[in-house]
Amino acid sequence: MTLNLAPMVDVMMCLIIFFLLAAKMVAAERHPVDLPWAVAAKEVEPSDLGARVTITVRRAQAGDDEAEYVVVDWDGERIVERVLEPGEVNVLLQNRAARAARENQKLRCVIRADRMVMYQHVEAVLRGCGLAKISDVVFTANSGVEPKEPT
Amino acid sequence: MRRLEPAGEVVPNLAPMVDVIMVLLIFFLLGTSLDLVTQGVLQTELDPSSGPGAGARVTINPLIRIALADLRAGQGARIFLLDEPLADDDFDGLYRVLRDRRQAGADPANPVVIGAETAVRWKFVVKAMDAAVRAGFTNVQFAVSFRAGSLGA
Repeated sequence: MTLNLAPMVDVMMCLIIFFLLAAKMVAAERHPVDLPWAVAAKEVEPSDLGARVTITVRRAQAGDDEAEYVVVDWDGERIVERVLEPGEVNVLLQNRAARAARENQKLRCVIRADRMVMYQHVEAVLRGCGLAKISDVVFTANSGVEPKEPT
Repeated sequence: MRRLEPAGEVVPNLAPMVDVIMVLLIFFLLGTSLDLVTQGVLQTELDPSSGPGAGARVTINPLIRIALADLRAGQGARIFLLDEPLADDDFDGLYRVLRDRRQAGADPANPVVIGAETAVRWKFVVKAMDAAVRAGFTNVQFAVSFRAGSLGA
């Protein structure tokens, strides 16, 4: 008697592809950003965050006051980082909010902002959340006390 | 003369392939989940009745209003609590004041509104929020200007 392993291999292949894509998505969502520190920051797994749109606000260049808004998206073939114009942030949030409403989901906005960006750049995302009526907002931060910077 | 064997079903041995796939699966499982638990979050529920989507400006009188002004071109932040400057512009000091208010009986569900000048660095806004959350306040709101370019406070 020979055990038929083909269905098992099929399932495992699907799982591998899923984790490969998930790992890529997570890596892209976690594009290196110098996050602020917060003692009260709770560590959560992204799966606990549910339906979400993650917006990374990073400095356009080191030492620059300008910022760029980055989202992770699927371009039909692969996962890509898309840099949005400030005006596009509102459109993105409103589109995602409308889609979530159609699918009866509660959408959450995750803001990953570089600690040294000016508040006006984060405020623009908060304003977009307000316009899109996304009330549930999460800020990512390093958990703990900010280490002393070398003088 | 050699006799031909009857053609039978050829069954490939899948065991080594299953081994490799299992190892890959465990690698991605662990790799993904380990990567996920290393970042913290601060959560807030914005008030939809007073945000930019509400359509009209709303004046609210929060129990605690924190305002941040830029100091030394992004190197620091001046802290105002209910329009009074806080000594030393120290976020630990802000935490202590907020904690004392909580211990004095302030309702944790009362809104704490944080406003900041546009040039204030994000890390100082997070420190203010951190102080409020650590002190036990659960309803942190952000003052957001209706138009880009104006003051957030």
